[in-house]
Amino acid sequence: MKRRFPALVAGVAVLALAACGSGGNGSDPTDAGTGSGAGTQYEGETLTVWIMEGTNPDASAFFDGVAEDFTAQTGAELDVQFQPWAGAHDKFVTSIAGGTVPDVAEVGTTWTTEFAEIGALADLTDRIDEAGLSDDLVEGLVEAGTFDGGLYGMPWYAGVRSIIYNTELFEAAGITEPPTSWDELIAAVDALKASNPDVIPFPIAGDSQFGVFPFVWGAGGDIATEADGTWTATLDSPEAIEGLEYYTGLALEHGSSTAAASTWNEADALQAFIQGNVGMIVAGNWTVGRIAADAPDMAETIGAFPIPTRDGGVAGSFLGGSHLGIFNESPNQDLAWEFVNLMTTGDDATAWAEESGYFPGQASALEAYVASDDPLVAPFAQQMLEGGRSVPVTGLYGQIQGAKTVEAMLQNILTERSTVEEAATEAVTVMNEIFSSGS
Amino acid sequence: MSTTGSVRVAPGVSRGPGDHAPRRPPPWRRASRPWLLLAPTLVILGVLLLWPLARVVNLSFQEYGLRQLASGETNYVALDNYREILGSEYLWTVVLPNTVGFAVACVVLTVGLGTLVALFLNMLGTVWRSVCSTAIMVAWAVPAITGTYVWVWLFDPLNGLVANVLSSLGVIDPGTVNWFADRFGFYSIATLNVVHHGFPFVAITILAGLMTVPVELYEAAIMDGANAWRRFWQITVPMLKPIFAVVTILSTIWDFKVFTQIYLMPGGNGGNAEVFNLGVWSYIQSFAQGKYGMGSAIAVLLTGILLVITVVYMRTLFKEEDR
Repeated sequence: MKRRFPALVAGVAVLALAACGSGGNGSDPTDAGTGSGAGTQYEGETLTVWIMEGTNPDASAFFDGVAEDFTAQTGAELDVQFQPWAGAHDKFVTSIAGGTVPDVAEVGTTWTTEFAEIGALADLTDRIDEAGLSDDLVEGLVEAGTFDGGLYGMPWYAGVRSIIYNTELFEAAGITEPPTSWDELIAAVDALKASNPDVIPFPIAGDSQFGVFPFVWGAGGDIATEADGTWTATLDSPEAIEGLEYYTGLALEHGSSTAAASTWNEADALQAFIQGNVGMIVAGNWTVGRIAADAPDMAETIGAFPIPTRDGGVAGSFLGGSHLGIFNESPNQDLAWEFVNLMTTGDDATAWAEESGYFPGQASALEAYVASDDPLVAPFAQQMLEGGRSVPVTGLYGQIQGAKTVEAMLQNILTERSTVEEAATEAVTVMNEIFSSGS
Repeated sequence: MSTTGSVRVAPGVSRGPGDHAPRRPPPWRRASRPWLLLAPTLVILGVLLLWPLARVVNLSFQEYGLRQLASGETNYVALDNYREILGSEYLWTVVLPNTVGFAVACVVLTVGLGTLVALFLNMLGTVWRSVCSTAIMVAWAVPAITGTYVWVWLFDPLNGLVANVLSSLGVIDPGTVNWFADRFGFYSIATLNVVHHGFPFVAITILAGLMTVPVELYEAAIMDGANAWRRFWQITVPMLKPIFAVVTILSTIWDFKVFTQIYLMPGGNGGNAEVFNLGVWSYIQSFAQGKYGMGSAIAVLLTGILLVITVVYMRTLFKEEDR
């Protein structure tokens, strides 16, 4: 009963679009000519796709091109619907419950296992193996999309956070080489502070979990560990505590931050950085493009370096990004895979990575970035390749993120409501409660 | 076949159903007519209000997560959700004090300020009254989201107007004080926001009431030597009691269930658990953590508190009127 209604709607939509589509095809015979012969296999069908809004500043132009390629290859029409990142999780959940999911959707890597677990996404392992793609995927994205041995999201693109800095302020402070260890980072903070007391050397954003993890990992700690399918939070381990103490100590002991930053999220920190009064911030590789668009003058004076570990080296940093997932309820599974394949391999995948400033999800395509000598690409690529890490791969971690457990811990430390140990213990309690509530 | 309609018939006078029927429709039709007329309203209320309410109450007795939502299964756990909420220290030390304290402060300030503005408007001539009431209506017309962002910007610790003014006066250094991180500071800003957004409605409503009070009453009171303070408490307040009751109840309900203004402030969306009120807590449990059953139970609790407040308030009001 639940399935009948969407199927009916889809049927009507297909009929309606078939009526439009035949006219369109008739007026442009060249499309059929350029196809490889199998180009009209799915003629008259329509594939509905959800793409998150805001990743690529010029996404609609990009997808106009993709739609043309897609129609040339399969004969089917493409209906791309843009969904804002904020609120996307709710939208997925309600449409899964109501049976109104699209055929294919861009799914944030931390959501993929969550939706796989409740049976909404299709297992793509066999299709990826058949297409011969399984050996050429970025490892961190595969890990994040794997549930119960199956891969439920095709790696599409990835991003990673490093530190971007203001080269003018660094020069004024006499810092010639970017810091490569924790001690050097403190030295840089002190130098920036000494050269100009109005500068905020390194704001510690309290409402951002991905800024603190590199320091937990960089001290040898971890967020949580798994044993026999059960996760246990480890943010209160001595190593993790050391990382938390260092990171928050930058603000509390070394004056690298400002009281305002204790409630900042990443966007707020970036905004402050763009105003030109901030030495460095933890930021994703995609923000470089955003700075170039929002503040072209600023783009000339930024540099980047990998987040260092305690003793020198590249620290772990959360490897985020998106999968393309196919929903089980979609009646066009084969056509959906055609689209996923088109998007994640070849020219369209490269073009997307270039336009959006992300890294492609195919390992072979990523190599070009690692070899790049662009000072705003190479450090990120190095961080991703040497330090790309994922948060605990379980649907339950979504609940922990939803509860903002890590952010609450950070804010409690930064506002000195609790000590590092107290806050970490509290966070671990909350996390373990959630981990143990799962099946 | 005696019906309520024939009760008044004098004893001894017999009236069979035969001579009664042609003039009046049969009883079942008379009884159904009001319901028929009410039906459209009831259908709308049922669909938009009663059904969701029943569903929330139903959910509150289940442990209902994403899995249940996707599969449509039920998972009843009786009173477990309520037991967990009512047994948690967090409710009694943080959420409830936040909700109640904030609501009381907002209601008192909103109604107080609204009354003062209404009295002020009532003293003006027609032209200036229109100008001023239009001006205050703007505050009311601004959507809660926009209004909240404006207040957040004003109090931005680094670049905000308040920080700049205070620092140019030498009171603070910009960036050294973050009001949002502190529970009292956070709620002070939220109170400013909600009162600013809520007082125009109160002012306009009370002004409408003020304009119906006969001028003779005040003239007589002046003749008797009553001052403005006395005239307000002895004439205006008693005359406008029903209006004060309405604005107070409405403000109480609105201020208890404030969500947007808290959720959109820095820390209000989950990062700072010290500043949750019942509405935000319910939302975070349901939609951020996928515990729809728990979130529903909190929502039911909030509804229950509001019902009790309203009933108590209405009863005291009507009792006083009977006296």
